[in-house]
Amino acid sequence: MTRRTGRRGDDAQAVLETALILPILLFLVCNFIGVMVQVTVQEQLNAATALAAQSRFQAPNNAVDPSGTRCCGAGDSQLSTAGIPTGCRYAAETFYGTMTTYTGMLVWQRAPLCTSGGDSGDAAHAPLASRPYPGSPVDSDLSCDIGSTGVDGVIVPGYLDRALQPPNGLTVVTCSASTRLDFSKTPLAWGVFWSPTVHAQSEALPPPFRQ
Amino acid sequence: MGGESEGVARPRRMPRAGHRAQATLEFAVVVPLFLLCLIGAIDAGLWAVQTSAEVSAVEQAATVAASAGSNPAAATAPDARAVTAAVSGQLRTALFGTSIAGWCEPAAGGACQPDVTARCPSTPAQVQAAMGPRAVVVCVTEQDPPACTAPPPGVPSPYPPKCHDSPLITVRVIGFIASFVPPGFGPGATGFELPTDISATTHTLRFAP
Repeated sequence: MTRRTGRRGDDAQAVLETALILPILLFLVCNFIGVMVQVTVQEQLNAATALAAQSRFQAPNNAVDPSGTRCCGAGDSQLSTAGIPTGCRYAAETFYGTMTTYTGMLVWQRAPLCTSGGDSGDAAHAPLASRPYPGSPVDSDLSCDIGSTGVDGVIVPGYLDRALQPPNGLTVVTCSASTRLDFSKTPLAWGVFWSPTVHAQSEALPPPFRQ
Repeated sequence: MGGESEGVARPRRMPRAGHRAQATLEFAVVVPLFLLCLIGAIDAGLWAVQTSAEVSAVEQAATVAASAGSNPAAATAPDARAVTAAVSGQLRTALFGTSIAGWCEPAAGGACQPDVTARCPSTPAQVQAAMGPRAVVVCVTEQDPPACTAPPPGVPSPYPPKCHDSPLITVRVIGFIASFVPPGFGPGATGFELPTDISATTHTLRFAP
């Protein structure tokens, strides 16, 4: 009788140990995979914003999209780019063409696609926030600070990075994007209870032949 | 005496043997689970490293492909083999156990047509059907803008709106990469592989003001 109780106690202890250890192991593995997914999304976002910033320079400097021009965008909704620099659309097409994986679990922070006039600032100058181009779509996953020359010759400044070519700085193109990883629609939701936000910002210098 | 000593020793031996059997059983149950978790974690780490390498490779390949056309108005995609050669070293370092090739249209007799007109396979399974297990291909496609035409009355030129665009280049690494996933568990058909599909898109260079 005593022996039986002891064995039953051992069995119960073994079951309890397994019941405790298994969820902990699975929890650790799920979170490890979650971190790996976050690293991969960060890499892809870095690449997409870098290519987007560079692709602005594949478009003519003074080109503006004619009326009726639409591009890319998330899902069925397309962005209307009429009246804004073609370089903005090139950046968006590059970005959306590159961010093609994990789309189901990304919750984007929407922003104006095309902005201008940002200033990094330094000891003598206050930093300035970028302003959206008139007519720029405001629900884009990507936001680019882009300079251009209008058809009437008016120069719209891009982003002034004062860390480059001091003391005056250098006008560059910056593109940024932010997204939150939502694991709730994946099998990892079992053990991953956090939703990390991933952000990427890239800067592209104008090629020498365009300066 | 001897009978007494046997009587004393027996109860002592039995629980010890029972404990040993129980410990062995627990060990037999826990070790596979522990190994499953350990190998899963290692595999997830490897997958992240390999995917990161693919992302940086397609980024570099897209930059190469965007500038590899014969002229800025070229209407043919850059040669996938040239683009593959530019990034295969980087890919080979990370994708151990996986073969890497430039995508070309399978032709009669098993030969490959030149990949100027190649279309990318849409799923990793198509790559596996053509190249075998644990193989990825580098595929380059070009999307040309529509030809400019006279605009309808009241519509500003250029028409259609994107007809003055430079071609859009997409570089894609697609297929199955080698992994520790055993047959029957993963999404791969043959086991020991995981699907991958990474792409990068950019416009080709145009030397215009």
